[in-house]
Amino acid sequence: MRHVLAIARREIESYFVSPIAYAVMTVFTFVSGLFFSNMLVYYVRQAAMADAQVQKFGRSDLQLDVPTVVLAQFFQNEAFLLMLAVPLLTMGLVTDERRKGTLELLMTSPVRSIEIVGGKFLGAFAFLVLMVLPVVPMFAFMGAGGEWETGVVASGIRGLFLLGGAQIALGLLVSSLCENMLVSAIGTYGLVVTLQFVDTAGAAQGSLWVRVLGSLSFYARHLNSTRGVVAIADIVYFVSWIVLGLFLAQRSVDALRFKRS
Amino acid sequence: MICLSHLTKQYGALVAVDDLCFDVREGEVLGLLGPNGAGKTTTMRMVTGFLPPSKGRVRIAGYDLYDSPIQAKRRVGYLPEQPPLYPDMTVRRYLGFVAALKDLPAGRTKSAVALAIERARIGDVADRRIATLSKGYRQRVGLAQAIVHEPPVLVLDEPTSSLDPKQRYEVRELISELRGRHTVILSTHILPEVSDVADRVVIISRGRVMAVDTPARLAERLRARESVRLEIGTGGAATTVSPDGVREALAALPGVRDVHVHLNPSGTIDARIGSEVGVDLRAEAAALVTGRGWPLLGLSGESPSLEEIFLALTRNEDEGGA
Repeated sequence: MRHVLAIARREIESYFVSPIAYAVMTVFTFVSGLFFSNMLVYYVRQAAMADAQVQKFGRSDLQLDVPTVVLAQFFQNEAFLLMLAVPLLTMGLVTDERRKGTLELLMTSPVRSIEIVGGKFLGAFAFLVLMVLPVVPMFAFMGAGGEWETGVVASGIRGLFLLGGAQIALGLLVSSLCENMLVSAIGTYGLVVTLQFVDTAGAAQGSLWVRVLGSLSFYARHLNSTRGVVAIADIVYFVSWIVLGLFLAQRSVDALRFKRS
Repeated sequence: MICLSHLTKQYGALVAVDDLCFDVREGEVLGLLGPNGAGKTTTMRMVTGFLPPSKGRVRIAGYDLYDSPIQAKRRVGYLPEQPPLYPDMTVRRYLGFVAALKDLPAGRTKSAVALAIERARIGDVADRRIATLSKGYRQRVGLAQAIVHEPPVLVLDEPTSSLDPKQRYEVRELISELRGRHTVILSTHILPEVSDVADRVVIISRGRVMAVDTPARLAERLRARESVRLEIGTGGAATTVSPDGVREALAALPGVRDVHVHLNPSGTIDARIGSEVGVDLRAEAAALVTGRGWPLLGLSGESPSLEEIFLALTRNEDEGGA
């Protein structure tokens, strides 16, 4: 465990001296804020309109629960942003160690490859947490006008962590397969975008394929958490991706020894 | 302390290291010498557990590298050809990180790092980021990294290559200071380095051991050959001079072992005569050349250097392999 923590700590430290990480963090926070304020303003207007309709006509077709609608939309957008951000965080995880020759240090130390992979995952995941948490104060705006909806917020954040964790595990795997950071990022994009939208494959409605692909899709699995629904199946789904990603990454890192360099 | 038996590494049809067997005794500094591509780095990587061998075993301080890799790796400090540095870390943080990887108890990390910094003489840059250091300093940080956990075994892969002469001298000094504290395998293709620091030398070529001996005895073997170098002009000679003619004439001298003749672009002929030990052919060669009326432009006797023995050993191998 000491090795895992040492490797994770080094990884986080190296994020904070890298311009890529700062850029990703800044853009993520900025675009999150943009989405949030746009949505909030839109739904508040809708709600105001509904209020006006109720006053004028005694009824309104717009039945809005502003906090939960805003939150669900917001967390779905955040999932989209994560899909764009995570490959940039994972592209160098193993690739960069190979480039710098430090993989030789790790592998000739009394460290198991699963500890290397675990430390890398933990480091990237900790960065993800640091990247996502700054959005929390935004919800204070909703608290100012009504409910904080703590339950939905907590569920949404947990959903992002699970989704991000799965993306990181896959990114780590791809990074261990690539000698070039750009190729690693592109490969990870290919993988996470495919998994995000795999349910939109054009099969006939109600067919077996639609159901299979629908159950594999990151998007569909992530949806519940944005609405404050805690489904064990979703948690198991994402944790399975994390375990699978880490397992394959560990095998792949082990196999790097056999590569001629 | 280190024991290699039948170590072999194959990449497909290519045999990079072929049935390597040798032991390194406790406290000994062993030089692994060979031309580039001889299999030095591959050997080092197998000894440190980075590369799995195709065949054979490595034992470090009594632990088999494949049966108990963790135990064995704890006892090895390794400086690869390219020092494995994280440019964004400070020297001190980096050494602390390495100490944690090598299972040094957390309580001892601070003092061990301080000691490694002192021994590698990098105190003046200890709190600088590695990215800002010169090549010589980086190499020393690499060395500090290898010794931070006080390993009984040190494996240094070309520690002085790509350094300037001053840095090379400094790193060599540092390595000499490690003598006695560690059992060292050191690879290099620079011969003086080996004669300076190594107790014993293993010469490898094409993945095979060509010779194992002390530097002094190897040098003696080198001295077992003497040579005479001649420079002969081709212009304005009373008789025509051809490289073949020179070779034939010189080879006929008594005591000659081999003759190498080379036509320079400037039109002069270089000839080198190798002879048995104790046979000085300078006078005979000069008499022969002038007797034939060939213009003798230069003549010198040479005792072969370590380079030449080395070249001779590896050249024989080339011819044998071809």
